[in-house]
Amino acid sequence: MRDLGPDQVRALAAAAGLPLDGEDLDEVTHRLNAFVEALGGLAALDLAGAEPAPTLPPDPPAGSPTVTR
Amino acid sequence: MSTDLAYRSATELAGLIRARAISPVEVVQAYLRRIDRWDGTLHAYVTVCREQALAEARTAEQALARGAPVGPLHGVPVAVKDQLDTAGIRTTSGSRLHAGRVPAEDAAVVARLRAAGAILLGKLNLTEFALGGTLTYPFGQPRNPWDESRETGGSSSGSGIAAAAALAAATLGEDTGGSVRSPAAWCGVVGLRPTWGLVPRSGCVPVAWSMDAPGPLTRSVEDAALLLSVMGGPDGRDRWLRAAPVDPRADLERGAGGLSIGVVTTLVDGPDTDREVREAVRRAAETLGGLGARVGDVALPLVPMAGAVFMALADGEAAAWHHATLRERGGEYDAGTRRRLLTAALLPATLVQQAARARAAIRAQVDEALSRFDVLLAPTAPTAAPAIAAGQAPIASRGEAGRRFFTRRSYTTPASLAGVPALSVPCGFTAGGLPIGLQLIGRRFDEATLLRAGRAYERAAGWAGRRPPLPD
Repeated sequence: MRDLGPDQVRALAAAAGLPLDGEDLDEVTHRLNAFVEALGGLAALDLAGAEPAPTLPPDPPAGSPTVTR
Repeated sequence: MSTDLAYRSATELAGLIRARAISPVEVVQAYLRRIDRWDGTLHAYVTVCREQALAEARTAEQALARGAPVGPLHGVPVAVKDQLDTAGIRTTSGSRLHAGRVPAEDAAVVARLRAAGAILLGKLNLTEFALGGTLTYPFGQPRNPWDESRETGGSSSGSGIAAAAALAAATLGEDTGGSVRSPAAWCGVVGLRPTWGLVPRSGCVPVAWSMDAPGPLTRSVEDAALLLSVMGGPDGRDRWLRAAPVDPRADLERGAGGLSIGVVTTLVDGPDTDREVREAVRRAAETLGGLGARVGDVALPLVPMAGAVFMALADGEAAAWHHATLRERGGEYDAGTRRRLLTAALLPATLVQQAARARAAIRAQVDEALSRFDVLLAPTAPTAAPAIAAGQAPIASRGEAGRRFFTRRSYTTPASLAGVPALSVPCGFTAGGLPIGLQLIGRRFDEATLLRAGRAYERAAGWAGRRPPLPD
């Protein structure tokens, strides 16, 4: 995925109703691109069976999926 | 003399006070003297409850004089992170936005420490809203007691300082992605992140609901166990708590014999881990082996991604909590906080969902390793405390953003993503005299084994009790 540019990030922020310009815009652009790069690698993982439960019950179920690269 | 008193452990102080060998008033005064001497430099405190603490100490003294039953922390002066609500005392979350916020009730963990007899000395400094990356602190730049030009670690910065510099007998922090363990490591004290679901979050200003965990920072593992012993269990407000609290002190002095310890090679030998840190952690593993533990290596291949996965999820939760304020009063946040929240607010939903699935995969790897080992061993941080100035330079590229925000967090966030307990204990010093932290990671709700391993190491290694260079 190509890096986002400041104009694209400003447009995203405007759509979300968030003011963004100046030094904030430059740094948020770098941060967003870092996320896109780091999380883009997740597409190569076999995440079958990895359900995105945010929390665990106090006593977790047996047989949680094991995922390896 | 008062410095030696202030450096006593909370456990020792509780015993001496209970035996009426020292007065709680004398102990509170000793800490207030040290706060007067050092807090103007170190900036551990946002608010010092001087008169209230002295009044509570006098009440505690009177209770002992009349033979009233007392709790396990009776008369022991503690301080808590200013993210934890305190009735009638301002709770700022380290932000100008909350500078005048005065809660009506204590956070559950604060109420529990008070019910156990603890005296509240004050509220401790933190990165804004416990997020990390603050550039300008409204209540003073926290400074590391071992070297004032160095970072303290965050977000429980003041909690780490106050424990290390004996500005309180013990402190409370809150750990979402390492916010107790990181300042513990860099300030040279013990920090415990309890199992998510053991300690109530009620009255704790949230960072990320699915990972927030209040925990103690102390000068010994024994003290961490003492504080945790009064913190766990249901409170009627936090609906995710397990019904039965654990007893963290059950096995504390059993030693390391018979335990199995897995050294997380992915982190210990990782390219970002400094040589001195790697060697200190390897020596710690040898020490535990010498105490009778079975030590082996274990790889967790997904943990290098944990920092980015954590920030996508935790920052997303934080951005949701702050969204309205960010729109209406964004200029009142610190610039570092604002940029972090804005970034999270703009992350594509598909990436966040991928991160959520990766979290399940990381959790599965941690659980699998903990099915083979009682405790996992890793560095708490890849380096000792960096210079404050290094974290304040502008971010000029994607690569720099990744290094600054994801790399270090990959060491502490696996436990947060997995919801398991983790402990940081001192395991040595760099040649420059900065503390190094050893991280022990345990099974869900098995704080007893985790603290047992930490206690055995602490006793054998002898790093506990070292004092930072702060003359009287």
